[in-house]
Amino acid sequence: MESIQSELILLAHPSFGVLAILTAVWVFAETINNQATSYGRLRLLSLAGTLLMWLSYLVGGYWYVVYYGADKALIKAGPWPFAHSFFMEVKEHLFFSLLLMSTYLPIAVFGLTAGRVGLKPVVLWVSAWIVVLGLAMEGAGAFISMGTKVALLATQSMGETP
Amino acid sequence: MNDTGIGRYNRGFALSLAITSLLSALLVVIKEENQDSVLAWMIAATGHHWVTHGVLVLVLYAVLGWILAQLQLGTRLTGNGLSAVISGSLVVSGLIIAGYFI
Repeated sequence: MESIQSELILLAHPSFGVLAILTAVWVFAETINNQATSYGRLRLLSLAGTLLMWLSYLVGGYWYVVYYGADKALIKAGPWPFAHSFFMEVKEHLFFSLLLMSTYLPIAVFGLTAGRVGLKPVVLWVSAWIVVLGLAMEGAGAFISMGTKVALLATQSMGETP
Repeated sequence: MNDTGIGRYNRGFALSLAITSLLSALLVVIKEENQDSVLAWMIAATGHHWVTHGVLVLVLYAVLGWILAQLQLGTRLTGNGLSAVISGSLVVSGLIIAGYFI
């Protein structure tokens, strides 16, 4: 049962992340359009993106702190130790910058939609960086998953029980 | 007149984002290089160094953003200038972290 809970949490983390990335793409597109009729959607989307990124952070962070230790040991002993020593280390620390940008985005969006037009490039750049960094996080997560998989396969090929 | 159409809270929290991101990257190097002191303290504080790191980053972002908004620093920064500061900080932070672990 605990294993199922762990896997579900692990799946929720990138799912929230992808949804947060999609809202950032939408914010970027709506900002280029920049019509008064877009302002309601912009505010809602920026807030939704922040909520989704925070959910991704909290769920992923819980899994990392509670469950990752076993996977970490497996990865480090397996054929892809860099899945932890590079990809996980970079992901877990660079995520803070992504979280800060996601937290800042609605502040800029609410300023822009309140008439502070100088914020338009800021909203565009921050939403674009959320997309780029978010995708980098998803890619790093894929390397970490593969690091675990090849470690398990290597263990099995040696006739050991993982 | 220094009204660049940005507002002090937007400017303050944007600058705080750039500064906090850089300091977070530096903290990564500092804690990894000082495992017996800094890292040990971060583990002792919350039970996990990453949790402590996150708390420090979020508190610093909020406090620094509020202080910078009150001080009204960087009032000449335009939207493009602020975007460059944020982007530059993010790129340097990424290079510090990735460069350290590569």
